[in-house]
Amino acid sequence: MKTKRKLLSIFLLMAVTLSLSFSEGNKETAKKKTQEITVITHRTDLVDNLFQEYVAEFNKIYPDIKVNYESITDYEGEIKIRMNTKQYGDLLMIPDTGFAISELPDFFEPLGTAKDMAAKYEFTTDKEFNGMVYGISSVGNAQGIIYNKEVFKKAGIKKIPATPEEFLDALKMIKSNTDAIPYYTNYAAAWPLGGQWEAQAPNVAGDAKWYTQKLPHTKAPWSEGQPYYVLSKLLWDMVSMELIEEDPTTTDWEACKGMIAKGEIASMVLGSWSIIQMQQAASSLGIDPGVIGYMPFPYTNADGHVYASVGSDKQFGINVHSENKEAARKYLDWFTEKSGFAQHESGISPVKGGAYPDALVAFGELGVKFIQNVPAMKGEETLLDDIDSEAEIGRWSESYRTRILEAAIGNRDESFDDIMTDLNTKWAKAMSTLGVK
Amino acid sequence: MKDLNYASQRRILIVTFLFVPIVLLCVFSFLPLGNMVYYSTLKWNGYSKNRLFVGFSNYIRLFSDPEYFSVFKVSLYYLAGSVLQLSLALLFATLLTFEMRAKNFFKGVLFFPYLLNGVAIAFIFLFFYKGDGTLDSILKAIGLGDLIQFWLRDVKIVNFSMVFTSIWRYIGFNFIVFLGAMQSIDKEIFEAADIDGANKWHKFIYIIMPSIKKIVELNLILAVTGAIQAFEIPYVMMHGANGTKTFVIQTVDTAFVNGKLGLASAMSVVLLIIIIIATIFQKQYFKHREGV
Amino acid sequence: MVISNRVSSNILTVLKYAIVILGALIATVPIVVVFLASFKTSPEFLDGNALQLPHSFINFQNYVKAFVDGRMIVGFFNTTLILTISLTGAIILGTMVAYVVNRFDFKLKKVILGAFLVATLIPSVTTQVATFQIINALGLFNTRLAAIILYMGTDIIAIYVFIQFISGISVSLDEAAMMEGASYLTIYTKIILPLVKPAIVTVMIIKGIAIYNDFYIPFLYMPKKSLQVVSISLFKFMGPFGSNWEIISAAIIITIIPTLVLFLFLQKYIYNGFTAGSVK
Repeated sequence: MKTKRKLLSIFLLMAVTLSLSFSEGNKETAKKKTQEITVITHRTDLVDNLFQEYVAEFNKIYPDIKVNYESITDYEGEIKIRMNTKQYGDLLMIPDTGFAISELPDFFEPLGTAKDMAAKYEFTTDKEFNGMVYGISSVGNAQGIIYNKEVFKKAGIKKIPATPEEFLDALKMIKSNTDAIPYYTNYAAAWPLGGQWEAQAPNVAGDAKWYTQKLPHTKAPWSEGQPYYVLSKLLWDMVSMELIEEDPTTTDWEACKGMIAKGEIASMVLGSWSIIQMQQAASSLGIDPGVIGYMPFPYTNADGHVYASVGSDKQFGINVHSENKEAARKYLDWFTEKSGFAQHESGISPVKGGAYPDALVAFGELGVKFIQNVPAMKGEETLLDDIDSEAEIGRWSESYRTRILEAAIGNRDESFDDIMTDLNTKWAKAMSTLGVK
Repeated sequence: MKDLNYASQRRILIVTFLFVPIVLLCVFSFLPLGNMVYYSTLKWNGYSKNRLFVGFSNYIRLFSDPEYFSVFKVSLYYLAGSVLQLSLALLFATLLTFEMRAKNFFKGVLFFPYLLNGVAIAFIFLFFYKGDGTLDSILKAIGLGDLIQFWLRDVKIVNFSMVFTSIWRYIGFNFIVFLGAMQSIDKEIFEAADIDGANKWHKFIYIIMPSIKKIVELNLILAVTGAIQAFEIPYVMMHGANGTKTFVIQTVDTAFVNGKLGLASAMSVVLLIIIIIATIFQKQYFKHREGV
Repeated sequence: MVISNRVSSNILTVLKYAIVILGALIATVPIVVVFLASFKTSPEFLDGNALQLPHSFINFQNYVKAFVDGRMIVGFFNTTLILTISLTGAIILGTMVAYVVNRFDFKLKKVILGAFLVATLIPSVTTQVATFQIINALGLFNTRLAAIILYMGTDIIAIYVFIQFISGISVSLDEAAMMEGASYLTIYTKIILPLVKPAIVTVMIIKGIAIYNDFYIPFLYMPKKSLQVVSISLFKFMGPFGSNWEIISAAIIITIIPTLVLFLFLQKYIYNGFTAGSVK
């Protein structure tokens, strides 16, 4: 008897465990009086501090909306796994890599018509599909190069370089006249060789239509004169001329902030979002944050202008399955208009008419022209992503740039031209597989 | 229950004891596996509402491009490493089974690295291998400064560095499993062997090894399949760059960077088949040896 | 003859200690870096060499920050809860499987054992998409039960460790009990379970640490803030564009302490657990 009871209790335990799980699941969906929203962010570093302050501020105006934050480290990978279900929060960042905008209506709530939204917000064309806008930018960035002004001065560089050749010359001067590492690749962290470089391409193109409308129809984007070729060649030259750190494989992203502040690093290709982080590193070391400078990508177009492309960081979207869309929208509007997040990040405000941050005001003084990519052509919204995915190149990831770097330090049996030819071949093959002209 | 005869008791017990474990196994291992096999026949990015059935074309693509399989070269490093790892774990476990001073201290210390998680390990070993880092400083301190290399930059060395990290991380696991298994050996057998004048080597060969053979076999199988599936250390430390890319890293990139979950699933299925074949071979080999 | 024997045995003893000491050094030295870093200030860390001693060993700022901002109290609470339930479950299930497989012969035995082995071999990276849908369909998303149930599934290592021990328990013990009229269930609870204690401790340690350190499952299946576990704390100081390594170092040390203490406490059960009393 005793043993029977024991066996029974084991099973009861199992049954209780299972039923408990269901009841908890039901609790989640039950309606509540005060609205509760879940915001999912990739900013793991801000979720427990700055964003909590924002929530407190927000609750002063809307005490009935409870805001819960969740953060994800590997945002792009994990959010897509969750998007197979309805469980991806109420307000979240719209994934970028490989997320086709034609899929927006399946996952996100339309926030307004293209016309209305464009009148009020910046960067509305990024997440626009069929005349509706599905995302609002969290903050905007410009693309260029971060550098240490003191090191450039000490090396005897008089003028901001405006071509790749001038930039390489400047790096050579830094190498011979100072102890600084002329260019720091951040190879070990990998991502600095991804999107940070990819986003420079429109600067070289100097054409707002190139990236979104012309590139999907370019058969060989890595042939001489093309933006990708120019960028790749600059990377190759810097590495093969030994203008980078001695050992790229042990670079340390966190340490690079202190190093550039102290003048141990002269330059890095990074978006304007990085300015504030480098300046903070300088301040914490007791160095004047003014040593951190930001320059446009050194490429002068045929029209004689240097361009700096301006674009949105990740954009907010509202889960189409959310039961609290209104509350989510209220928080989104408050975050966009009242939180002051753009200033905090020293970025460009997503609301039209906001002032540009100081570093970018200086661009204007240099005569740099700002450009913003236009939307893709109708019916071709996903084309660029499709070709990239089919070709397995991963332009926004570090993949082919780490390959260039490895070949340039002699770790691979291939030349610069070999890599360019291979990329062109893969791209052209993918285009023909997809039937693109 | 007492009233039941043992035969029917046995039947009930087998069914009831195995029921929950097998349900869990089916729901959380084999159901997802079945799904993965299904995904491998799709052209699908992993979340889109559009799933296109493409039959075997993912497999055809995989097998028509030898590039996809060239990364298995990297597995050879891990394979060699896991043999070393198991031998060392066995050595340490045996040494610490016999009498020794500060035995428990050494057991604790040797197991220590297993307490750390993957992020911590990547962080520790970046400092370990970097120029003027922990390793270089140690070599200089003991007068071996000439041996200093670019531990990660040099393509001829980088995979050895990865394998060393891997051994460092996982050896504690094998060590503790072996040590635990050795405790299941009856002490009287050792005492009897002592009376017969057996030395430690004899005890290892004739007592320890035969008693823990099953556990060693399983560890070997897991080590070999682990080598084929090597992932976390080269991924977290190197992102698979500089010639450290393994098949699983390639699969993850295919799924989440290139947005081809269908193709990535096909890769996983092929990987699983390779692993199962390798396991069957090993099992046969052990069986054959038993026969001899 | 006698002398040379003694010399060779001395050499062997020296060699034995040399090997173990070398192993111990290799195991600990890399961690020293983390320990040192946990006492450094941010500029000190960014500025200096990894092996440099911190200015002060009583700079507990990082620890305070890691503990408070990392919300480690919540983390420890959730981790303890999840760990206790899932380990208990895994041990009960694992010993049940091992007992049945070791003591009885039945048709599908090999198939079942093979199924557990294959399950361990499945590359889990690409099955996550399907697993997530299953957890969600069961209504377990954002509950502790998601993690508990995923960890509870017995793995082949645990089963083998238990089988190893159970096969070491003489069947004559079972038979003696049966003579007294004990049921199989009584044999399992009264004879087998107490005697596999060292195996239980071994499994508790290896599986417990794996669960304790895992961050993938908590991140994906229970992202709600109130459900945060200890291993997640490390990520609180890791942004998409930067990480505070000195605070992470402190968090690493904090997370190691409980496992180390528990390990030191439990290890004596592994090594001394198999006491006399069984008839061979």
